[in-house]
Amino acid sequence: MDLPKADLLQMYKKMVTIREFEESLAEAVAGGTLPGFVHLGVGQEAVMVGVAAPLRPTDWISGTHREHGMMIARGADMGPMRAEIFGKATGYCKGKGGSMHLAVYEKCAPGCNGILGPNQTINNGIALALKRRGKGDIAVVLFGDGASHRGEFHEALNLASIWKLPAMAICVNNQYGISGCVDDVCAVEDISARAAGYGMPGLTVDGCDVMAVYEAVSETAKSIRAGKGPALLELKTSRWRGHFEGDPQSYRPPQEMEETRRRDPIARFAKQLLDQGMAKEAELQKLRDEAKRELQAAIEFTDKSGYPPEEEIYTDLVYAEGRSVR
Amino acid sequence: MRPVGIIANPASGKDIRRLVAFGSVFDNHEKVNIVRRVLLGLDSMGVQDVRIMPDFFGIGPRALDDLDLSLKVSYLDIPLEGTQEDSTRAAKALSDLGAACIVTLGGDGTNRAVAKACGEVPLLPISTGTNNVFPFMVEGTLAGIAAGVAALDSSSPRSFIDRAPRLEIRRGSELVDIALVDVVVSNPGFIASRAVWDVSTIHEIFLTRAEPGTIGFSSVGANVCALPANSGKGVHITIGDGGQKVKAPIAPGLIRWVSVASYRVFEPAEPIPVSYTPSVIALDGERELIVSKGDRLTIHLAPKGPRVVDIARALRQASELCLFLQPQA
Amino acid sequence: MREITYLEAVREALRQEMKLDENVFILGEDVGRFGGCFGVTAGLFDEFGKDRVMDTPISEAAIMGTALGAALMGLRPVPEIMFIDFTTVCFDYLTNQAPKVRYMCGGQVEKLPLVVRTTSGGWIRAAGQHSQSLEGWFTQVPGLKVVMPSTPYDAKGLLTAALRDNNPVLYIEHKVLYATKGPVPEDGYVIPLGKADVKKDGTDVTLISYSLMLQKTLAAAERLAKDGISAEVVDLRTLSPLDHATLAQSVRKTHRAVVIQEAYESAGVASQVVKSLVDSSFDHLDAPIKTVAAPDTVIPFSPPLEDAMLPSEDKIVRAVKEVMGCGVGAGLKPAPTPQG
Repeated sequence: MDLPKADLLQMYKKMVTIREFEESLAEAVAGGTLPGFVHLGVGQEAVMVGVAAPLRPTDWISGTHREHGMMIARGADMGPMRAEIFGKATGYCKGKGGSMHLAVYEKCAPGCNGILGPNQTINNGIALALKRRGKGDIAVVLFGDGASHRGEFHEALNLASIWKLPAMAICVNNQYGISGCVDDVCAVEDISARAAGYGMPGLTVDGCDVMAVYEAVSETAKSIRAGKGPALLELKTSRWRGHFEGDPQSYRPPQEMEETRRRDPIARFAKQLLDQGMAKEAELQKLRDEAKRELQAAIEFTDKSGYPPEEEIYTDLVYAEGRSVR
Repeated sequence: MRPVGIIANPASGKDIRRLVAFGSVFDNHEKVNIVRRVLLGLDSMGVQDVRIMPDFFGIGPRALDDLDLSLKVSYLDIPLEGTQEDSTRAAKALSDLGAACIVTLGGDGTNRAVAKACGEVPLLPISTGTNNVFPFMVEGTLAGIAAGVAALDSSSPRSFIDRAPRLEIRRGSELVDIALVDVVVSNPGFIASRAVWDVSTIHEIFLTRAEPGTIGFSSVGANVCALPANSGKGVHITIGDGGQKVKAPIAPGLIRWVSVASYRVFEPAEPIPVSYTPSVIALDGERELIVSKGDRLTIHLAPKGPRVVDIARALRQASELCLFLQPQA
Repeated sequence: MREITYLEAVREALRQEMKLDENVFILGEDVGRFGGCFGVTAGLFDEFGKDRVMDTPISEAAIMGTALGAALMGLRPVPEIMFIDFTTVCFDYLTNQAPKVRYMCGGQVEKLPLVVRTTSGGWIRAAGQHSQSLEGWFTQVPGLKVVMPSTPYDAKGLLTAALRDNNPVLYIEHKVLYATKGPVPEDGYVIPLGKADVKKDGTDVTLISYSLMLQKTLAAAERLAKDGISAEVVDLRTLSPLDHATLAQSVRKTHRAVVIQEAYESAGVASQVVKSLVDSSFDHLDAPIKTVAAPDTVIPFSPPLEDAMLPSEDKIVRAVKEVMGCGVGAGLKPAPTPQG
């Protein structure tokens, strides 16, 4: 796996961008300006970038609720993303979806689903259509450790296996489903072990190492494109912030939080790049500064944008006319 | 009677070789079963004190569940990180305790981690990993019995414990790391998924043994110059175009043509410099070291590696000592 | 015109659309080689192959999710859920997922062509979990059309329309109607969704129903005619969106209405029809609107119990006579016959 320096630096920049984006949302929540709930992926940047980077633009990718970073890694613009999260008309979904239903179909990203489970079976339908198109594109779905206990996990893997669908199921195991720790709620130590029950390979990967994630996803994609059938990847990682922003995380022991920060995927990647002479500190700093500037532009874009008009309550639905006699 | 240790690696058998090769899925529940059998074997030989490395899966507690044993099991008091360093820390703890034997469950990588710190404590390695050249394919009960024999004061260990060699990676006089079976030097890059499966990136291979009948990179050496285990010598192979093409099973289900440009048998007294830099060095099948340009590393064959129990000979000696017969009244 | 069964009409609609458009495909349990549990898809597997008529494991959530994903990509899946009682295990797709996709992404997805076929209804002695009429639940989902044909002619035309619609449609076939016969054109034709149908003209009272109950209502209307009551029978056909205009037009003519459904009486389609009439035609009503429905209890197994629990012709006739006997102009009609 030989990535050119420019690609590696791009990946680093994306990781930093994601962290800046997410942390700015945390600030907005603290400041009381962000409506509703957001689920931030700070600490999981290696997952988002490591998964998105090796995929084709014509591959499809979707997830559940902690996917802001994945959408950024996929190439969505921070401006309309942030606008959507704030319910503005200039958001990707005209403000009608919000954080949990962010979608950017032009990037082949149906994006986020507010319900855990269905995105896994829906991914099979996307994979079925891609298989028929015959261009070797694949359908990737991300979900958490908690979601792997939902019935759809099992239904989706079983069906993908018997129909040999070009589907990649990625379990982002950050050890917690809200407060439910995997030690208590999961019957197996490694969710990848469940793959054996569905006749497909199951890998466990260090989700805090962006190159390990990249390599695993790249090899798995190669295998699926070659017609070898679906696979289950488990990326072990950890989230820094609560399940939703504002969750005090009292259920996590303090030494665990220290341990988590020590495995900061961004710092780790930076060290790898510097140690191997792939980049100089000044280059990395330049990328960090760029990321900050781009975020600032997105914040200004959001602040300047207005809310959607009331008519939008009735648009984009099945029937143009109302259903009741008004 | 001295204590016996068990180090079972819960992490083996789920890496990328499940995908790029056809590595078996060695389920942790199966490891629990093996540990159960080991414990029953140890118990049958009158071992009283067994120390188990703790792990996040809880192989030990699960193995003990519903088991009726005379021996006492306790867990090593070591910090757990969920990495291979846990195995090294466990080995050190068992060495400090003066354990009679360490039963390991894992592949070459696990045993390498244990060998770093086990000192003179002999290993009884049971194979549960992917690349398994060093450990034995052996049934757990027999392994437990053999480990029990090693723990007996009445047995003479010299007759069934061998000394395995190891490869040492040094920077000058400083010991950087070790390998029990193979050292593979490949193109520079990231540690990433650790496993090595792309032969086009490999430049040099160092081996402690090269016997036909093994899987992994030692099989490359086996077909250019057979070198049995414990021969006291090593093999250095360079890879390059235009050499002797060797068909080698480098991983389960992965048989590849490797172009051997040259090979040389070397002795412990001949350190060999790593000529290809920058590079990534894999030890016993897993990428471990990043070598920067101009970094001067040398590979040494050290005859004094870990001590290893030969199970067949241990059981034979036990039989000769009538340990399996009930004394007549 | 030739007469075929309701079941054959459904199959014909499927077959004709599958021939016209290679994107249309069926998926569900036992739909392929077995030809469907009720035999609806018999022969289609042999004609179109396993990639167009796909057998699945017992995985309703996977069936629905796969269908939704395929629809997102421009295919036209027709998933089958064997009994509407089983929609409970894939409820999320019919409520949170398919009907909301377009809205929640702000229109990025222009069409989601998904026709979910299922069966409903009792009288087959299958007891509480295989005999229900649950259409009411789904009429409360914004973004989902719900269709329940009562005749073979309507079945083929409405299914064809649904298959050409670019929105999620729940198409419900009553099991007992499968064997009923009626005239059906051989060529393909469309009956627009959202349009009710006056199956019988009348002047004294409007009877509004759908699916199997519509047939029982027509039979009741014949009996009522002998008693001098001229009933107009309106078949809703599409339950969501309701055809308010046709309902209003009829009731403004007859001034009395009875709504008949097989489903449990609380909060179902009948209640919505009552609301529609109150909203549109209150001043035209001469009597309160009555509904005939199953009581809010569980469908029992024992045949005489099931027959007594589900709405019958007798109950429809009685309700109509009560409505005729009260309110403005009640005295001008013969008094209702006591319980019988």
